[in-house]
Amino acid sequence: MKVLQAAHPAVLLVYFLAVTLVAMFVWNPAIQLLALAGGAGYAFLIRKRGELKGDLAFYLLLFLLIAVTNPLFSHNGVTPLFFLNGNPVTKEAIVYGVAIAGMMLSVLLWCRCYSRIMTSDKFLFLFGKAIPRLSLVLSMALRFIPLFRRQMKRVGRAQKTMGLYASGGYVDRVRGGLRVFSALITWSLENAMDTAASMKARGYGLKGRSHFALFRFDRRDALLLLVSGLLLLLTLCGVGAGLTDFSFYPTIGELRRSPAAYLTYGTYGALSFLPFILEIEENLKWTYYRSKA
Amino acid sequence: MIKKGLRYGLLLLVIPAILLTGALLFRDKQYAWMSLGIAVAACIPFFLTFEKGKAGTRQMIAVAVMIAIAVVGRLIFAPLPGFKPVTAIVVIAALYLGGEAGFVTGALAALVSNFFFGQGPWTPFQMFTWGLIGLAAGLLAAPLKKHLVLLLIYGAAAGVFFSLLMDVWTTLWYDGAFNLTRYLAAVVTAGPFTLEYGISNVIFLLVLAKPVGGKLERIKTKYGL
Repeated sequence: MKVLQAAHPAVLLVYFLAVTLVAMFVWNPAIQLLALAGGAGYAFLIRKRGELKGDLAFYLLLFLLIAVTNPLFSHNGVTPLFFLNGNPVTKEAIVYGVAIAGMMLSVLLWCRCYSRIMTSDKFLFLFGKAIPRLSLVLSMALRFIPLFRRQMKRVGRAQKTMGLYASGGYVDRVRGGLRVFSALITWSLENAMDTAASMKARGYGLKGRSHFALFRFDRRDALLLLVSGLLLLLTLCGVGAGLTDFSFYPTIGELRRSPAAYLTYGTYGALSFLPFILEIEENLKWTYYRSKA
Repeated sequence: MIKKGLRYGLLLLVIPAILLTGALLFRDKQYAWMSLGIAVAACIPFFLTFEKGKAGTRQMIAVAVMIAIAVVGRLIFAPLPGFKPVTAIVVIAALYLGGEAGFVTGALAALVSNFFFGQGPWTPFQMFTWGLIGLAAGLLAAPLKKHLVLLLIYGAAAGVFFSLLMDVWTTLWYDGAFNLTRYLAAVVTAGPFTLEYGISNVIFLLVLAKPVGGKLERIKTKYGL
């Protein structure tokens, strides 16, 4: 169990939106670097076993691809380094390419952490009240997926016992697959109509019915919401005051170095590293208690 | 009917508003995020119509089944990127359950399958694009049901449309603005995929349209949807 997995869905939504939106909209190398480091650190902590290698390769490749293609397509900037097919490749375009690649990487990493922590049940809990019919369709579809996969295996086995199995040829296998798929669709539609009748019999859609949910808003949630809200507010104050303004074109600007600017970087850094720190703290606690036992 | 018109009319106000805020806030630099906002906003009236609509429990569950089938299909064919039955299933759902149901099937199939394939900033775009493909198929239901050739042409066109629209998104997401050179490069690089989308749609529609359509028709008659 990861620390954030136990938090209330609303708090999680606020936190992930805050950290990702700032990473998307504030074009400042320091902010970008903090977002990337925080996202990468947390993604590393909550990774599944065996994911690391493939992911590292994928993200590095993506990074290089974007960073390299930008100077080829964009010829803005005033410092040409060399010419390619008569087009200038500028220093500014290269730096901008690296910055944009870093931004996209951090957004991807944060989206990944989001989908690992904000599971579909939490999503439905949040939006179920606002859009009851759609979220019912959504939750039924989500439930149908494992059901259909299981049923498909069953149909496949039943067909095998009837002697209808593929002999190994490609066309034969595709045909067998389609036969199973067809049986699955008939079964699932009939099954769904039974579900509808059953729901109606139990009074679905009548007034005054409540929902069951496992999520409670407790003190820890309030604290987490307060801390991330405050950090976001301070960061936004800094952004609003122009402390994070940075230009890539026509020339690369300079990073602000006033104490107030450092404060802004610090608050966003704290926001970005919040889940990382919480997770590490929990791990340390765990090892500490285990060492005592 | 008036309410419905009002909802779509609101969309006509919301989209320019997003553009204006985007232009003022980000000095025209951030088309990607503005278009993201527009994709989200564009989905809302359709969802609201479905939400406030009179579709009974049975119809809603039929939509859920079609979404799940589309997602399971995408999962089965995951080893072949680009070769997926989602568009075909969405089109078939739209033909027999109506355009609104088609939009919801397309949009939610994108949302749900991305729970497995990974959510990202592209999710709203996929939702909107697949939703539109479903909606248009629902509006053209009568001729498409009658002539198989038209249906296959629609499938191929939908594949190309999907690819071209996603390339717009890729370009915006790379540059923050629409760079025509980059767009053309993206279209060319995605060429094989565009072809694959079109061909796979045609194949899946050819194989699935009649049997699945027949099943949906049967369920509609049997249970009076």
